[in-house]
Formats: sequence, structure tokens, C-alpha cells
Amino acid sequence: MSTTAAVQSQAVVSPASADRPVMGHLELLVAERGGRSVATHQFHRGALRVLRPHYLDDSGQVCYVLVNPGGAYLGADLYVIDVEVADGAKLLLATQSATKIYRTPGSFAEQRMRLRLGDRARVELAPDQVIAYREASYRQNTHVTVRPTSSLIMTEIVTPGWSPDGASFRYEELRLRTEVRVESGDSGAGESGLLALDNVLIRPPLGDVTGMAFMEGFSHLGSLMVVDPRVDQALADELHASTAGFGAHTGISLTAAMLGTAGLVLRSLSDSTEELRRVLGAASALLRKRWYGQDPLDLRKY
Amino acid sequence: MTYQLALQQLTDSALPTGAFAHSLGFEGYIERGLVHDEESFGVWLGAFISQQLTYSDALAIRFLYEGAPVAELDALVTAQLLPRQLREASIKMGGRLLEIGAEIFPSTELAQYRELVNSGRAASHQPLAFGVVARSLGVPLGDALAAYLFATVTSLTQNAVRAIPLGQNAGQRILRKAADCVAAAAERAGHLTPDDFGAVSPGLEISQMRHERQRARMFMS
Repeated sequence: MSTTAAVQSQAVVSPASADRPVMGHLELLVAERGGRSVATHQFHRGALRVLRPHYLDDSGQVCYVLVNPGGAYLGADLYVIDVEVADGAKLLLATQSATKIYRTPGSFAEQRMRLRLGDRARVELAPDQVIAYREASYRQNTHVTVRPTSSLIMTEIVTPGWSPDGASFRYEELRLRTEVRVESGDSGAGESGLLALDNVLIRPPLGDVTGMAFMEGFSHLGSLMVVDPRVDQALADELHASTAGFGAHTGISLTAAMLGTAGLVLRSLSDSTEELRRVLGAASALLRKRWYGQDPLDLRKY
Repeated sequence: MTYQLALQQLTDSALPTGAFAHSLGFEGYIERGLVHDEESFGVWLGAFISQQLTYSDALAIRFLYEGAPVAELDALVTAQLLPRQLREASIKMGGRLLEIGAEIFPSTELAQYRELVNSGRAASHQPLAFGVVARSLGVPLGDALAAYLFATVTSLTQNAVRAIPLGQNAGQRILRKAADCVAAAAERAGHLTPDDFGAVSPGLEISQMRHERQRARMFMS
């Protein structure tokens, strides 16, 4: 299995500089303490912070809600999020509200997220939708590193914002790139490999993104990525059964297995955020129940 | 142009890589009634060329030509091809191409890629197998890209002629029209960045994923 590719390292996005100010920076380290997951390190600067942690049930999973007090991402803004979940710890990371991307003339707003999961660590990423308004450009780069025993469930919904003429695709560019790597053994001595590269690029000005074989006439995109050693074809079949009844146009497939774990990707197109929430919610409810005996996610907004 | 005949053999649709067994996603559009004639298949094919073939296949070949190690590219393609059937199709056809290549166009680079595959360190993806052979034959990148893309388009069109079905002449008209799209894709692939790799449209990927569950089907992907 190959290690970090020259091609991939080039793919690391542009550095922060004078023209790309870091508008918000968040660091969070979560560890297990006596059956409960708690933050053992927390740092924030600028327009990103987390609300007081809470526990939605008695599973010990800590829930942090990410807040952008500025309310929106604007041109050339750079946001950096660095999260590590130590061995055996459990984190649910949500957002307080949708990520709104407004006009970014001549530049793009960017979010870089690094997420590292320890052995048997468990993370659910359940952000609200990204809304890209007229003339918005947005790049989201997410680098996830898991151990073969980690468990990851991440969802994403991207939607076009309201525009004066009522058309859906008035934004300039949406780029959401997620890499998931698996590392085994001790650091430096183990194997590692790239499990999944999920790259979504929608550039309405470049041509017909609405039509066949692109957005298929839909305006909203939802996706789910699951990485867990228990992922297999039977699970993919069950998730298909639990999501097939919705009106959204959905596909599910497995990644290649790697170092004893595997990934599952669900993609779904719809014209409604609510519909995509129901599809992703049904899938995540099945996984929470099956693997952790937890109830469906119910995020009471603060 | 010492490579001309070799390139023709390599891209001939008679080359037994099994391309006749793969729709790479269009069979789902036939089932949904969205691809049903010459025009609608042409629309799908244009999207496939400007998405899948540009952002995945052509870019992988370009990175290979620019010197990226084949083992790393192989892992990158495996990770990027999220629809399982598409990934398996690429590996299957790539494996056949490596076998055939070893017999008719042996080279050190090809032997090295085969060794990686045989020892489980690489999967054998079609664009990379093609790129390794074409590069060893001295085919320039532009010619290699155009030839590879057009060969894929030819196989898909032949498969569509059987599956929809379409007349043989309609198939040739589709190919002629696709030539401009292929040239544009080869050109575009030259300007993309590593960040762009694998940015295939959600619609294509979903239909490739859904094909796994399609009941009556002629194709493996």
C-alpha cells in the first residue's frame, strides 16, 4: 500500500497568507475519562468556537456544536478546524446553523478540516447544510485519518441559496474534497493507505450542471461517508432498503477494503434539504442503533 | 511516428480487455428511459467524457506521464472510484491490458507495474496500464490521451448500439460528434490541478452505484 503520494501532497490547498487571513481557528482534542468523553484541549481564535459540551444520551458520547458567530463565510475567508479524538473516545460534532457562503468576488472562502481518530474512537460529523449564494465560491478540504478500529459517520448537504431570479445555480463554484486515510500499527512503523477520495466540484458557470449525468435535474446534494470495520455488503444492502423509499435519487457503494476496515459512500440528489436530511437521517439512525444501541440523532438547536 | 501501429493495436476495440461487458453507468439511464436514442446517448456520452474521462482517467494518465509513481497513482484511483462496479471494471480491464501488454509491448516500466500488482501492492487500473504502455512506446501525452479517450468512447458507443439498440450508422455519427468532445477533454486535462482529480459529477456516480442493484442488466457496470 502506498504512502502519501506526491500528487496528493500537491493537493494540499494554498497556504494562509496576507490575502488569505485565518478568520477562525478551532482545535479540539477529545479523550475518554471514566466512561465519558471530554475535551482535554480546546483552543479557538476568531470567528469559530464551540458551545458548552453536552451529552444527548448515556452513551458517554460528547456533543460539541460548532458556532460561527459571524454567521457566514465571505470572500477569501479561511477557517481551520483541527479535531482529534483519542483512543476509545466518542464525539458528535454538529453545527449551530447552516454554513452560508455569500459573494466571494475574485476569491473563495475556504474551510480546512483535519480530523484524526484513535483506536476504537468514534466520530459522527453531522453539520447543517452548506448554502452557496449568488457569486459564491467555496472550498472545503477535509483530511480524515482513522485507525482500522475507528468508526466514522459523516454527512454533508450542499444547497444553492436563494437568488433574486429564483434560479438555483447562481454560485460560482463549490468544491468539497474529502480524503480518508487509514493508519495501522505504531506511528512510523505501521502501514497506511488512502481509503477514499471523495471530490465534489460543481461550477455552474462552466456549463450545464443541471442536466443528465450531472445533477440530473436536482439542485441539492447529500452525502454520507461511513468508515468502520463492520462495513460490508450486507450493511450496504440494509442501508439501501432503509433509504430507497424516499423521493431522493440515491446510490450506495462500498470502497475497497483496507487494513481491516472499509468505507461506504451514499450520495443523494433532491430538490429539498428536508428530504436529504430524512435520507441521511434514516441511514445514520440505522447505524447508531445497530452499532451503539443509540436512538436516532435529535439535535435540539441552541 | 514509430509508435503509430502499436497505438492502433492498443486502442483497437478488438483488443480483448472485456470492454464489451461494461456500460460504465449508462445502462441505468437506459433503464430509467433517459437514454433511448442517438441524441440522448450522445448527451450522456458528452457528460461522461467531460466528467469521468477528464477528471479521472485522463488526469491519471497525465500525472503518470509527469512522473508520479505508478503505485501512488494506482492507490489514488482505487480511492477515487467510489462506485464499486466502476472500480472493479477499471481493475479488470487494466489487468487484462497489463497481461496483453507484457506479451506484445514488454518494457521495464510495465514489468514493474505488473510486479506491484502481483505482489498485492497495486490494483491495476485501466488508464494507468494504458499510460505505462503508451509511454514506453514513446507516444506523446497528447496523442496518448486522445487515443485512450477515443478508444473508451468507441467501446461505449458499440455497447450502446447493441443495448439501446441503435443502427450502426448512428453509432458512427455519435463517434464523429464525440471526437470534438474528446479533443476538448484531452486539452482540459492538461490544465487541471491535483485538487481536481476525481471530481466526477454526482449524477454519474449515483447511477454507477445504482447499477449494482439493477435487476435486468446486460453489463457488469
